[in-house]
Amino acid sequence: MIEPVALQDFFLTFFSAAMVILCGALYALLFAYARVRRRQRLMPLAYLAYLGLVASVLVLAMAANLFATGFWTFIVMLMLIGYLLAPHAIWHLCVGTHAHDHPDQESGPYQKQS
Amino acid sequence: MAMPGTLDSANLNGGQKLAVKYFTVALALFGAQIVFGLLAGIQYLKPDFLYGVLDFSVNRMVHINALVVWLLFGFIGSSYWLLEDEAGIPVVGLRLGNLVFWVFTLAVAVVVVVYLLVQIGPGDHSTLWLINEGREYIEAPRWADIGIVACVLAFFFNVAATFAKGRYTGIGGVLVLDLIALFGIYLAGMFYTPNISVDQYWWWWVIHLWVEATWEVLVGCLMAYGLMQTLGVRRKIVETWLYIEVALMFGSGILGLGHHYFWIGTPEYWFTIGGFFSALEPIPLVAMVVHSVFDSGTHNMKNNNHPALAWIIAHAFGNFFGAGVWGFMHTLPQINLYTHGTQWSASHGHFAFFGAYATLVIAFFYLALQKWRGNVWMSGGLAGAWRWKWALGLLNLGMVGMVMAMLVAGYEQSQIERAIEGSSWVGYFVAQAHPWFVQGMWWRQVFGWMFAAGFVLLVWDLLTLGRGERRPAQAHSESAPR
Repeated sequence: MIEPVALQDFFLTFFSAAMVILCGALYALLFAYARVRRRQRLMPLAYLAYLGLVASVLVLAMAANLFATGFWTFIVMLMLIGYLLAPHAIWHLCVGTHAHDHPDQESGPYQKQS
Repeated sequence: MAMPGTLDSANLNGGQKLAVKYFTVALALFGAQIVFGLLAGIQYLKPDFLYGVLDFSVNRMVHINALVVWLLFGFIGSSYWLLEDEAGIPVVGLRLGNLVFWVFTLAVAVVVVVYLLVQIGPGDHSTLWLINEGREYIEAPRWADIGIVACVLAFFFNVAATFAKGRYTGIGGVLVLDLIALFGIYLAGMFYTPNISVDQYWWWWVIHLWVEATWEVLVGCLMAYGLMQTLGVRRKIVETWLYIEVALMFGSGILGLGHHYFWIGTPEYWFTIGGFFSALEPIPLVAMVVHSVFDSGTHNMKNNNHPALAWIIAHAFGNFFGAGVWGFMHTLPQINLYTHGTQWSASHGHFAFFGAYATLVIAFFYLALQKWRGNVWMSGGLAGAWRWKWALGLLNLGMVGMVMAMLVAGYEQSQIERAIEGSSWVGYFVAQAHPWFVQGMWWRQVFGWMFAAGFVLLVWDLLTLGRGERRPAQAHSESAPR
């Protein structure tokens, strides 16, 4: 069911797992900030953070032997797709919950963008 | 009516008067937690320190039990604090609530005295009923367990009846439902079974489902109220986010329980369930980060209580790093096999409990202080503001220092004790004697003293901040309509 991490991969596992969450948060933060402040030049940085997340997930998957079984490979795919889409979904929720305050989306600081 | 800037109970409603009693006991227990943590830390360095008088097992137990109880007092106090504001009517059954406060406090005092003076019993049913139940983290004897359930049922009655008679807000609805789960789940830690796997199975219902589900939802309610009070965020926004976060928390947190079932003798399918839901658990924490950026951006950080908002921000980041990053680093079974129960777990536990819970209760202390002094100014240019800033800095830096020291020690333990020595008894001692572990324990103690200094400043600040302040609290740029 599981193949334990090899001794020499301990640090790599801890570090890459931490980087998954940190890159995920950085991606979400940059994504939200770029849209709140309408600074489109920050958006490539957000996707750069996502690329960091992809690299971290892949390193974690190899260090923790996650590609050894179908289920754990599915978890890897879930992380990659989930973290890509989550900031988009959360952003739409933010815009939706604040719509009452700023009915004129065109003039607001966080113009809805696709 | 007293002058603004002086502590006057006339500034508070009935529920808030009861809340400050809970906050006072919570603060005292927070202090006790730190003292016994420091004593236990010294015993890591000097094992014969207080040996036979106050053994490590006792200090550690009081340290952790004090944590659980002070947070519980803080949560109950915070719930009473917002109750009348939210429901729009006086607390139903307030006299019962006051009586229960004194009974609860007396029971806690008796339990602690028994822990310290009696410590151990013959190991039969009299020990279980009168001294120590023996379940880690929830060692309270059976009489106290029953008393805790009775007290919290009375608390639940106060909350549910007040909302039922008054106005059910979104925060109120979530709070009432959460309290049913919070105290219902406590019962799972009270029945006896001779099978250790079965016992652990139910024990985790209390430990995990309290901490990673019901407590997280409870602090979600408190955070929602806190954002309305400090930033003036609209009710519709915080309540919508509360529903989203509750759904995400329960959706990932309940079956995230599986990561505690990896090694206790439960079936292998818990690897699958625990791994899957543990991978989802950071998502609500990332959602909170995005939401906080959004709200901060739209409100330009303008707020009426700088210390409270600073602690709310500490909560958002502490929850993310302590629960999210530190949790995910060792939650998958492929690595958890080696880290489970080492100082790595202690590092995660310290960071997550402080970041997710202690910070928000402290934010409520400051909300309470502001109103208790007559809703005075607590924004920029506040006299003596250095104290709350230094308390914030010392407590957070002290905690981060302890967390990093335990992380290094736990990394060494997982390598040497678990992976190389195969979790043997010899491996345990080899790992404990390793320089990385020893130095980690020294650094943990140094940062523990820094944390303690921060606590002293916090108490001093709570006793003095806003004294003599005459200016009214800064108005919000927008209201928080119901």
